[in-house]
Amino acid sequence: MSVWLTILVAGLGSYLFRISMVVLADRMTMPEKLERASTYVAPAAFAALAAGGIAANTAGLDVGGWIPPLAAVVVAVIAVRRTGRPYAALLAGMPALWVLTAVVPA
Amino acid sequence: MTAVTVAPVRSVRGGDFAAGARAMVPWLAGVAPFGLVIGVSAAQADIPTLAGWLTGPTIYAGSSQVAAIEMLDAGSAPVVVVITALVINLRLILYSGAIATHWRGTPRWWRAMAAYLLVDPSFVVGIDRYQRPGDRNDAHTFYLGGAITLWITWLLALGAGATLGAQLPAALHLELVIPLYLVGEIVPKLADRAARRAILTAVVVAVVAVSAPLHLGVVLAIIAGLGAALTVKEGQR
Repeated sequence: MSVWLTILVAGLGSYLFRISMVVLADRMTMPEKLERASTYVAPAAFAALAAGGIAANTAGLDVGGWIPPLAAVVVAVIAVRRTGRPYAALLAGMPALWVLTAVVPA
Repeated sequence: MTAVTVAPVRSVRGGDFAAGARAMVPWLAGVAPFGLVIGVSAAQADIPTLAGWLTGPTIYAGSSQVAAIEMLDAGSAPVVVVITALVINLRLILYSGAIATHWRGTPRWWRAMAAYLLVDPSFVVGIDRYQRPGDRNDAHTFYLGGAITLWITWLLALGAGATLGAQLPAALHLELVIPLYLVGEIVPKLADRAARRAILTAVVVAVVAVSAPLHLGVVLAIIAGLGAALTVKEGQR
């Protein structure tokens, strides 16, 4: 299989994953438990992607490396809780990250 | 006049399309540098640069594209490359299942196109809009606004990386834009008991499984989070 064909097959498989449940949802009724579970895919996926992203970025770093991102997360959580607005996480978290990265010795 | 059984998807809804595109902006800051990096790696890999770029419009999922390009560069067997890319993309089935109920009643061509654009950022931006009250057709347009903006940006970033070999402004730590953005989306959901259990479980599993082979950590964390949410009886908050 050539490089081109390999990429096309991986792409086709990925597309079948994307369309799979969209097609099946029309032909069958999702079990009640699965339907209920699907409402929690979003919070579980958001949490997995956020924690996985931060963990991947701090893996192998010493204390000085992982304090700024973790502290930025804490600042972001507090900002969202206080304002009730999701975007406050970025507005408060990124500046906190920049300041802490500059201040905390690596 | 025959009864119309398929809900129409109106195409001229500039406000909702633009709102979806705006909701995608925080993601663009995070994914564009990622796209540049993948473009650079495609240019440096021992495969045709155009083939590396083609992972964008075909596979269309960053981690999976990285795996495909690196493994092809290393000379891995095509079957192993395909299996690895698909294992990393298993989460797309979960996204498909979660968003399918919102797409019921739309024309087939629309679902075929909307599904092609389904990936982490478009899922997050889209599902957030679908879960809010309002006209379903407006939400469809909102989804497309975000998803098409992402698609164009992603392919341009890959192309720029592949041709220019652009360097990342590392001091800006843009790699943390997405995790922090997600934190903002998660915090309000902590009020619901089942969602809280899903989130905390997913966080723990994602951190523990960060080094899991084949990038399985994310999909394991999502499944564990779902399992934890379902241990809460319906109605309990």
